[in-house]
Amino acid sequence: MKISTKRDALFTQLQTVTRAASTRSAVQTLSGVLLVAEDGRIEMRATDMEIGLRVPLEGEVQRPGSLVLPARLLVDVVRALPGSDVSLELRGAEQDVEIRAGAATFHIRTLRAEDFPPLPEVDADGQVSVPARAFVETIQKVARSASRDETRPVLTGILVSASEDSLRMVATDSYRLSVKETQLEAPLESGFEANVPARALQELARIVGQTETESLVASVRSNQVVFEADGVVLSSRLIDGQFPNYRQLLPDSYEHSLELVGAEITEVVRRISLLAQKNAPLRLAFSEGELTVSARTPDVGEASETVPVPFAGEPLEIGFNPDFLRDGLEAVDSGDVALKLISPLRPGLIEAADGSGFLYLLMPIRLNV
Amino acid sequence: MSEPARRVIAHLDCDAFYVSVELMRRPELRGLPVVVAGSGPRSVVTTASYEARRFGIGSASPAAQARRLCPQAVFLPPDFPAYRATSQAVWALVRERLGVVQVIGLDESYADITDEARPITALREVISRVEERTGIVLSVGVGPNRLVAKVASDLEKPRGFVVLSREQACERLAGRSPRIIPGIGPKTAARLQALGIGTISALAQASTADLAERFGRRQAAYLLARSQLRDDAPVSTTSGPAKSRSSETTFDEDLQPGAGLEAELTALCEKLFGALTRRGARGRTVAIKVRLNDWTTVTRARTLPEPPSDLETLSTVALELLRAYDPPRPVRLIGVRVAGFEGDLGQAATETPEQLALPLT
Repeated sequence: MKISTKRDALFTQLQTVTRAASTRSAVQTLSGVLLVAEDGRIEMRATDMEIGLRVPLEGEVQRPGSLVLPARLLVDVVRALPGSDVSLELRGAEQDVEIRAGAATFHIRTLRAEDFPPLPEVDADGQVSVPARAFVETIQKVARSASRDETRPVLTGILVSASEDSLRMVATDSYRLSVKETQLEAPLESGFEANVPARALQELARIVGQTETESLVASVRSNQVVFEADGVVLSSRLIDGQFPNYRQLLPDSYEHSLELVGAEITEVVRRISLLAQKNAPLRLAFSEGELTVSARTPDVGEASETVPVPFAGEPLEIGFNPDFLRDGLEAVDSGDVALKLISPLRPGLIEAADGSGFLYLLMPIRLNV
Repeated sequence: MSEPARRVIAHLDCDAFYVSVELMRRPELRGLPVVVAGSGPRSVVTTASYEARRFGIGSASPAAQARRLCPQAVFLPPDFPAYRATSQAVWALVRERLGVVQVIGLDESYADITDEARPITALREVISRVEERTGIVLSVGVGPNRLVAKVASDLEKPRGFVVLSREQACERLAGRSPRIIPGIGPKTAARLQALGIGTISALAQASTADLAERFGRRQAAYLLARSQLRDDAPVSTTSGPAKSRSSETTFDEDLQPGAGLEAELTALCEKLFGALTRRGARGRTVAIKVRLNDWTTVTRARTLPEPPSDLETLSTVALELLRAYDPPRPVRLIGVRVAGFEGDLGQAATETPEQLALPLT
């Protein structure tokens, strides 16, 4: 195999594809990038067996073929190359690749290409085209609620449901639950539902964010999903098992429903959280017409701030994990926030008051005093 | 001795816990002898898979010996953050269903299921739920007290499920060495053996007077109760405050007594003092522990009028204890302990807020 391309193009695409390369697999090949040159096109691939990426590379194919190079090293080398043009050539006898740019020459030993697993092809059947921006924005609203705890795999995914005219994503780590429903401007050809690893969707969001592409194509199969955006193909296994029925977690009614100015309450929470360290809860004490947010870290200090809020009734004090509370408030992003509460040990709900379809259910921390 | 009100206690024990967690991440190792052990020349086996146990490898065997016994075994370094995460998941599931649960370490717990209408069904549910959600297999023992539950859970591992009355348990264990009873250590077992008491049933039938002569009245009564599998300790859901803290280290190569050893002890004092300060714990008793290269283990302690208020005082006392003992041989392990804590452990330790979880199904 022999190809020549631009250094910058190679570097950019390499940075994208290596995010799927494994960093700690027992199979060495999985820590590599597969370069395939055929039919005058060049593609780079990487996978850690959970997600896979196929990224096109512009360049000239002088001799077709394929090879695997260690991803990390290749990124470092390409980043450091001089000049604007670079050529890669497989030297069969030496089992290495000669990389030339400017006056620099590198010889890098290849990894075993035959160990590199095949990645799913984009198949024409069952493809659904979805608006890229709406999809990515929906991911970003809920992704932080997905669990990172591998002992409950089902919670490490985001439940994606697409119907004709709306897109819904749900994620929960059992302490909070995010639901975002996005109305679509144009109806989809068909719907689908899948529990997709949050990591895969976050990668997809990153890839789409770097492009101008308007739509992406999804195809869901029994145990995997394939997305294509701007020539980049991301495939991911789907998560087995029943995603929790989130609807039954949402309380039927709330004791208190307060409309707050989102930016203001978010600022207060950010500020006071500085003194909620080492697992200390953030305390929200509501009384007639006001809310006092306070935090205390033993041996460090304490902070509090009182703001006027439309609260009426018996005083109520509830504790939350400061990061979780902030995640919810920040996800509402702009405009007014509706905060709904029942009692100190029941979940609280944060909702976008503009009816934009975002819900964030958060379990409290039991306060000792 | 009369049994208090009838209780139903379960002991839940994770089978080959660390190895199980590793196998979840690396299913390709299933069915192979797998050993979780540190990598230093003196590390010990923390867990061996049941396949590895067939080669005679057990917990606390030296890792080097395990490598000789079963060179083909897969040795993995321990990953405690992962074990803690799985442990939390396991016991959260158990707590959800059983209520009164006391977790001991990472991989075992006691549950008081006296008030459970159908205790066995409840346990079966918990076992399958834990396996389904976390992949961890539990062995369970059920009895009228913690002691019976504990020995019962151990009888048919792995995947054991043994329900015994106290009498049945006594019968099943009659011929075994007293050593297998929690609370009877190797030293006590050896002294019993010297008295001609080599089995649990022999101990259960020994005369209090004979035992009292050798062990003192209190210890004699305790040994009798243990051997008859009587135990009235409650399943307590709040752990008592820590009574002592210690810090110790095993050297990769034995250290000759002298400046090097003293430097190690000083470093340990520093570590321990840091840990005590963080928790606001203060204790008046300072003790050192020294293990020689022939495995002789010696402890020396001194109780001070006041808890040491600075590192200087703590290390001075520890060093004085070490110099007074003057190890006659090269030293393999050294440790320092502070005990006799004052009541107040400081707010950091007592105020661990509880994050509530959604009732996911």
